[in-house]
Amino acid sequence: MEEGVGPLDIRQVGPKELEITWSDDHVSRYPVAYLRRACRCAACVDEWTGAQILKADQVSEDVKPVRIEPVGRYAIHFAWSDGHTSGIYSFEHLRNICPCKLCTAG
Amino acid sequence: MFGKKKAKAVDPAVVLDVLRTVQDPDLHRDIVALGFVKDLEVSGSKVSFKVELTTPACPVKDQLKAECEAKVRDLPGVEDVHVEMTAQVRRANVSTGSMLQGVKNIIAVASGKGGVGKSTTAINLAMALKHTGAEVGLLDADVYGPSMAMMFGLEGKPSITPEKKIIPMDGHGVKVVSMGFLSDPEKPVIWRGPMVHGLLQQFLKDVEWGTLDYLVIDLPPGTGDAQLSLSQAISISGAVIVTTPQDVSLLDARKGLLMFRQMKVPVLGIVENMSYFLCPHCSERTEIFRHGGGKKASEALSVPFLGEIPIDPAVVVGGDTGRPIVVENPESPAAKAYVDFTGQVAAQLAILVEGGAEKPAHAPIMPGPLDWK
Repeated sequence: MEEGVGPLDIRQVGPKELEITWSDDHVSRYPVAYLRRACRCAACVDEWTGAQILKADQVSEDVKPVRIEPVGRYAIHFAWSDGHTSGIYSFEHLRNICPCKLCTAG
Repeated sequence: MFGKKKAKAVDPAVVLDVLRTVQDPDLHRDIVALGFVKDLEVSGSKVSFKVELTTPACPVKDQLKAECEAKVRDLPGVEDVHVEMTAQVRRANVSTGSMLQGVKNIIAVASGKGGVGKSTTAINLAMALKHTGAEVGLLDADVYGPSMAMMFGLEGKPSITPEKKIIPMDGHGVKVVSMGFLSDPEKPVIWRGPMVHGLLQQFLKDVEWGTLDYLVIDLPPGTGDAQLSLSQAISISGAVIVTTPQDVSLLDARKGLLMFRQMKVPVLGIVENMSYFLCPHCSERTEIFRHGGGKKASEALSVPFLGEIPIDPAVVVGGDTGRPIVVENPESPAAKAYVDFTGQVAAQLAILVEGGAEKPAHAPIMPGPLDWK
């Protein structure tokens, strides 16, 4: 992500998707279960080895955020319907995992 | 031919036109476009207006005033010019929720290592901002080694409102809250990270700060729990890194700076403390720890250099007796250096808020919480 790029708007789209408009005009749309599986917290990813602890099938397709809050200037925090609350998603991480065709190509 | 020649009344539009040629040197735009010119009144040959700056600590306030006066006075038909310089501090703090609602700007004072004079810098920054007429608070977030009670000469405990809010103590007009007010000065604070986090949260949530133009936060040295907690809990408007000229201190300053970059906290710049010793007798300048390291570091890391503060025993005495040098001896070289540095800090903040022409405004952030429906 370019230096100085941040989210202009973060909004819910329908029951299961989160959309972010970035200050470089890119728009990312994330299925929320995909975001839950992309959690980088110490309970989901081993802090030392980087090994994935959380398995994709442990996350229900019906999981959804309860509340999303800003974390300082660099990240957001999700409280999830499955009770998980320890993940901090930096804007950089969110942009890196943008599932759009342009970002996933190559 | 048409009777007595009468002086033509001055056209306010002409006055505005000439004021459009007055540039704010930091924001790189003219003062009319910036919306600084207020209450323009023309009565015959008399012109009066206000110039409302974004900070009362503007380092070029006098220069701007003189330029406005001179340019308007040169207009045909103008005989008398009255310019009033005022300031309305603009808001950089965009964090919503219950924390620090009334605080317009949050300035974190940090250092990579201890002993560089960070608390002294924070206190004199707060005092110098207060002196310009701003409303200022100071949070001593150095939970392990709080020093603000002594440095402000404050004793006793802060009062608590019926709603269980802490009322800051008054230190020469600055609202001060310190861990030192809550702990025994004889006992060290030995705390684990989560306790530090909890206490800082309380300082942010449960202190009745009221309306503040600037909240200065004195961070503990290093890159640890307190820095992390604060960078997460609130949206710090900008960080000031204090260093001394030695290489080891500069190395640590670099670490502090990179931590803030990672947390997307804008770094306002680096200030070099203990920069030189000015002999009180012969005014000879001795560069005890060499010189210019802070400036070099700021160039290497491409952040503004905010100034250099001389070593002055009076600064130390001021800290120990509760009378900061900016209050005690405002004419001393050290106090003047603090005032210049404060002007630079305020100017850099204003540039962040206004977005100068050369520098894009800082990356946007999520302004408030979102409840999923």
